[in-house]
Amino acid sequence: MNAPRLTTVLMGAAPILLVLLFWQGLCSFGYAPPALLPPPGRVLLRLVEQLGDSGFRDDIVATLWRLFAGFVIAVVLGVGIGLAAAVMPAVNAVVRPLVQVLAPLPKVALYPALIILFGFDHAAKITLVAADALFPILLSTYYGASMVEQKLVWSARAAGTPRPQLLLKVILPAALPSILTGCRIGLVISCIVVFLAEMISSTDGLGHLLVGAARTFQTVDMFVPLITISLLGLILNGLLYSLRKYLLRGFPEV
Amino acid sequence: MTLPRRIVAWLSPLLACLGLLAVWQVAAMLLATESVPTAWQAIRTVPEILGDPEQLGNILDSIRRMVIGLALAVAVSIPLGLAMGRSARVAAFFNPLLMMIYPVPKAALMPIIMLWLGVGDASKSLVIFLGVSLPVIYHSFQGARAVEEKMLWSGAAMGLSGIARMIRIVLPAALPEILTGCRTGLVLALITMVTSEMIARQSGAGNILFNAMDMAQYDTVFAMIIIIGALGIALDAAFDRLRRRLVRWAEPHQEILLGAS
Repeated sequence: MNAPRLTTVLMGAAPILLVLLFWQGLCSFGYAPPALLPPPGRVLLRLVEQLGDSGFRDDIVATLWRLFAGFVIAVVLGVGIGLAAAVMPAVNAVVRPLVQVLAPLPKVALYPALIILFGFDHAAKITLVAADALFPILLSTYYGASMVEQKLVWSARAAGTPRPQLLLKVILPAALPSILTGCRIGLVISCIVVFLAEMISSTDGLGHLLVGAARTFQTVDMFVPLITISLLGLILNGLLYSLRKYLLRGFPEV
Repeated sequence: MTLPRRIVAWLSPLLACLGLLAVWQVAAMLLATESVPTAWQAIRTVPEILGDPEQLGNILDSIRRMVIGLALAVAVSIPLGLAMGRSARVAAFFNPLLMMIYPVPKAALMPIIMLWLGVGDASKSLVIFLGVSLPVIYHSFQGARAVEEKMLWSGAAMGLSGIARMIRIVLPAALPEILTGCRTGLVLALITMVTSEMIARQSGAGNILFNAMDMAQYDTVFAMIIIIGALGIALDAAFDRLRRRLVRWAEPHQEILLGAS
């Protein structure tokens, strides 16, 4: 089992290394002046150096806080509304057309309105993150919950589960794989959106660092926040993956 | 349910739109601040913007860039995704790289790409291309992976070459999933378009929106939100019709929409 895994890892690492090599090659052979494309080593060094800086860490914390707050709101609302719509036809009749209209709407375009309503502080960014992450979570919850096998519900009813508990004991667990897939998509989206919101208007956070660096043509500093958000995304994705494995330990492989 | 389904299907989103606008109208009237115009005021500004040739040209420029980026992305991503779905090696090769790229906000690459390619169409289309590619690759990958092995064997037994099997069996079988990816891509393209333009303030719909914001022309801000929103909803609805036509044979499919940047 070990040998094929190693080759898989090597195969996967190859393109990343190739990209890095290509990047380094562009710099070393003088195709790209360092002012436009700093060599990867310098970016990495700068990242390590920045991690020691408390200001940079504060920016990461600010970004993470907004990301989590928005994501959690999206999960709570998405799972709640999704379940409600799947179980109650009346809710479904209201939610479905609203989702049809709101889901394809580019939420970034709402950002100016959010700024006007909530000011330049955290609230506008958190709302934007939540609005963008909400729909994939809501839709996958809805589909997951409406695909629950009717037999499961009947068996639970026959075994004497009271109706209100059905939701918690049967439908929610059965929809869990689908919900978690939605959460994963929502998480990636949150990473992206929080960064964009910070780029558009902010005084701190990783996105703001990028914009600041771009204004002063500090190319190295422009790459650092990008790589940081990419790493953060990878780490969070990994965490969610372990959570998924833990929560779905009884489920057949999905 | 006395109304025919078709009418309900048309009517309910329309009612939802009107409902949202009504909520907006009431909220704006209650807030009664200068900076939040009522829905009616914003709607009245829409024809003004669309009637101005310069502004209209800007919006059409945006759409052109979006179409270029989207078309390129679809052309590249579908073959790549299908190849990944049918070959474990190709998948193992590309997957980690794509995982690394996925959480990077593509529009955030704008300042860097601008340094290389300038502020013109090239860099914006490239950013849209990057933003759209990933979901399309991912869904094509999923679709191709789920193709029934037996159909491929039958194809091979009947003497179809590898490429012919790809085009005649894998592509149609994965089409519903691919189109779901394209639909996501469409929404993403629009979002990336707006964001890239507001970072590279030079032309386009995003530029109008955020310039109006900076100049405190709130009527224009909200009117642009309506225009961009309507564009998103209209494109999505049009694509959905196309999708239904193309994959009429497929069973109703989970349509998980992701609206990401």
